[in-house]
Amino acid sequence: MAYSELIKNFDRVRDYMRDFYVYGFKSRSEYDKKSARSYDDERRRMESWLGDYMGFRQTEDGKHVFLSIDSRLSRHNPLFRAWKTKSFTDGDITLHFILFDILSDPDVEMTVGELCDAIHDDYLSGFDEPMSFDESTVRKKLKEYTGEGILSARRIGRSVYYSRVPDAELECTDALNFFSEVAPCGVIGSFLLDKVAPEDEIFSFKHHYITQTLDSGILCALFDAMHRKAAVTVQNISQRTKECKEFRLVPLRILISVQNGRQHLLAFHIDKGCLMTLRVDYIRSVEIGEAFPEYDSLRKWGNRIQAHLWGVSAHKKRSTLEHIEFTVCYEEDEQHIPLRLEREKRCGKVERIDARHARFTADVSDSNELLPWMRTFICRITALQMTNRAVEETFRKDLEDLYRLYEIDGGDDG
Amino acid sequence: MIFSELYNVYYNAVAKILAEAVAGTLDEKRLNEIVEQAAFGESFLTILPALKAQKWQLLHADRSTPLRHSPTMPLTELEKRWLKAISLDRRIQLFDLDFSGLEAVEPLFTEEDYIIYDQCNDGDPYEDAEYIAHFRLVLDAIRNRYPLHMVIQNRHGVPVTMNVLPEALEYSEKDDKFRVIARSTGAAVINVARIRSCERYRGGRLRVSAREPQMRTLVFDVTDERNALERTMLHFAHFEKQTERIGENLYRVTLHYNREDETELVIRILSFGPKIRVVAPESFIQLIKERLKRQKSCDL
Repeated sequence: MAYSELIKNFDRVRDYMRDFYVYGFKSRSEYDKKSARSYDDERRRMESWLGDYMGFRQTEDGKHVFLSIDSRLSRHNPLFRAWKTKSFTDGDITLHFILFDILSDPDVEMTVGELCDAIHDDYLSGFDEPMSFDESTVRKKLKEYTGEGILSARRIGRSVYYSRVPDAELECTDALNFFSEVAPCGVIGSFLLDKVAPEDEIFSFKHHYITQTLDSGILCALFDAMHRKAAVTVQNISQRTKECKEFRLVPLRILISVQNGRQHLLAFHIDKGCLMTLRVDYIRSVEIGEAFPEYDSLRKWGNRIQAHLWGVSAHKKRSTLEHIEFTVCYEEDEQHIPLRLEREKRCGKVERIDARHARFTADVSDSNELLPWMRTFICRITALQMTNRAVEETFRKDLEDLYRLYEIDGGDDG
Repeated sequence: MIFSELYNVYYNAVAKILAEAVAGTLDEKRLNEIVEQAAFGESFLTILPALKAQKWQLLHADRSTPLRHSPTMPLTELEKRWLKAISLDRRIQLFDLDFSGLEAVEPLFTEEDYIIYDQCNDGDPYEDAEYIAHFRLVLDAIRNRYPLHMVIQNRHGVPVTMNVLPEALEYSEKDDKFRVIARSTGAAVINVARIRSCERYRGGRLRVSAREPQMRTLVFDVTDERNALERTMLHFAHFEKQTERIGENLYRVTLHYNREDETELVIRILSFGPKIRVVAPESFIQLIKERLKRQKSCDL
C-alpha cells in the first residue's frame, strides 16, 4: 500500500513513538518484530508529525532515530499530534463538511432522503465529475455522528429527522491549556484547543511525563468501564515474557505516578479472585463487558488495600504488612529535610526525635517499593530497620556497591 | 472514540481553508500558508492535490466553495465528558468559568477513578480566596504584559517586597504547586502560595533583566539489571537527552538540565543506587561523592 502520512490503527505508532522517545538508542535492525518497510514508514510519519523534535545518530550499528523533547520548555505535548492522524476516505471528508453546512443550525432538521437530495443538488452538482453518495452511506455517517453526540436524531412517525446539537461557546483557553497537560486523557483538551483561536501560552510544566498520552485510548476505555461499573477483558503484554495474555478484570482505579512516568490499573482479577495491578502502557486492548454486581464493594476493598500501598505493588497475597523505619539526621538550619519527609511520607509517619533527628515509619504491602525514595536520603540515614530482611539487605548492599563504584573508602577518595 | 478523523489535523486545516473560501479571501498563498501552519510537514502533498483534483469535492477550480457557512462542528460527547471531568477538578476554581450546559453530561472520570500516589502532600491551597485572587492577577499580568508589585514570604518566613514582570506560570505535577517565572532585577521564581499581597505595579519604569536558564549536561551510565534501563529511561523521560548502547547491558545517557535543578537531580540519580554511575561532569560526581562520604560516616 502506498505511504500515507495518516494511519488507520494507533497501536503500531504507540509502540514506535514510545521507543523513539523513551529509549532512542535502537537501530533500524533492532525493530525486528516489524518489517524494515514498516519501520521506514513509521519513522517518516513521525518525522512529518514531529520534525522539530526528531534526532538522528549514525553509528557502526546503523542509523538511530530518537525523539528529544524537554517537556519543561515545550508548552504543549507534541505527542498529542499522533492522535490527530486517523485516516479517512475522500467520501468521509466531503460528506462531513457538506452535512454540517446543510445542518448549519440546530433548527434545521432533515431526513436521510432530504439530505441526500441536498448533497447532490446543492453541493456536488457543480463539480465536473460529481461524487455520488447513496442513502445507506449517508445513513451510516449520520448514525456514526449521532453516536459521537454531534448530531441528534428524532423520530416523527416513520421518519427519522437529523439535526446538529447546539454549539457550545468555549471561552476557557487558559483552563484548556492547563488541563490538557495535567488531566488524564489531556489530548481531548488539545482537540478542544484546536477549535479556538490560539492565544499566548502562559503555562509551563515541570516534572511532566508526556508519554502517558500515548495510553489515552486505553485509559478512556478503562474510565468508561469504571463509570459503567463493568468488567473488562484486557489483552496485556507480559513485562517478563513479552507474551500477550488475556485477563478478565474489574477495573477499580488508575494509579498515576508523577515521579516515574508510569500509570497502572488497579483491578480485581475475576478468575483468581485477587487484586492486581497492570502497567497501562502494557495493555494492548480493552473490551468492556457487563456490569459487575459487586463493583461497589470491590472498590471499597481496593481503597482499603491502597491505604497501605507505597506505590502500586498490590498483587502479592500477603496478609501481613511489612514494617519499615529509618532515621535521618540534619543540622538545625536544614529544616527542609524533616519538611521533605513530611511532604513525601505518603502512608508513613514522621516523628521528630530531637532537634537534629527525625524518624520515618510505615507499614506497607511491599517495602521494596520504598528503596528508591530512601536512597534520596543517602548522606543522612543513621538507623534502618525493616521486617523484610531481604529488602533491608538489598538496601545495605546497594550502598556498599555505591561506595565501591565511586571509590569511597573510609571517607577518602580511592 | 478518541482516535477519530473528527479530530484529524487535515479536517482542521480544511475547515480553515473553507472558512476563508466562504469569506472570499482564499487565494493560492493563503491555501499554502494554512496547510503549512495547521497541518504536518508533508501534509501539503495530500491536502492540496486532493482539493485541487476535486477528490474532496469542497473547493471549485476557482477556489470558491459550495459551502454557505464557515465550517463549525459541535462538541463531541467525548469532549463534553472530558470538560465535565475537569469542571469537577479542584484546580478549576483558579479559572473563572461557567460550565452551564454540561449539567446532564456524565464526567469521563472523577477523583474516585484515579489517584496520583506519589505527589507531595503540601500542594497549593486551590480553595483559598486570596490564593485564587493572586493567581488570576498573575495570569492577567502575563497575558497583558504588565509588571506586578508583590510582597512574598521567603523560605525563612520573612516578608520580601519585589517588583516583577511575570512571564509564565510553571506547574509542577510532583509538587502540586504553581510558580511564577518572572523577570526582576535578576531571575525570579516565586511560589504563588508564598505571595502575601500582589497588585499592579504603578511606579516608574521597571528595569528587569533577561532570565536565561543555565543549562548543564550530565552524562551517566546505566547498568541494565533489575529492569533499571526501562525505569531510568521513563524516570528521566521529560529531559532532553540522548542514549546510546556502549556495552553488554550498559547504556550511556547524556542529559541536559537546568542548573537550578541540580540538587534535585543528584538525589534522583542516587535513587537508582548502583545501577547508575555518573561519568561527567566532575563537579556532579563530587556532589555524589560528598553525599556518599557523609553517609559512610553515619555508620549505618
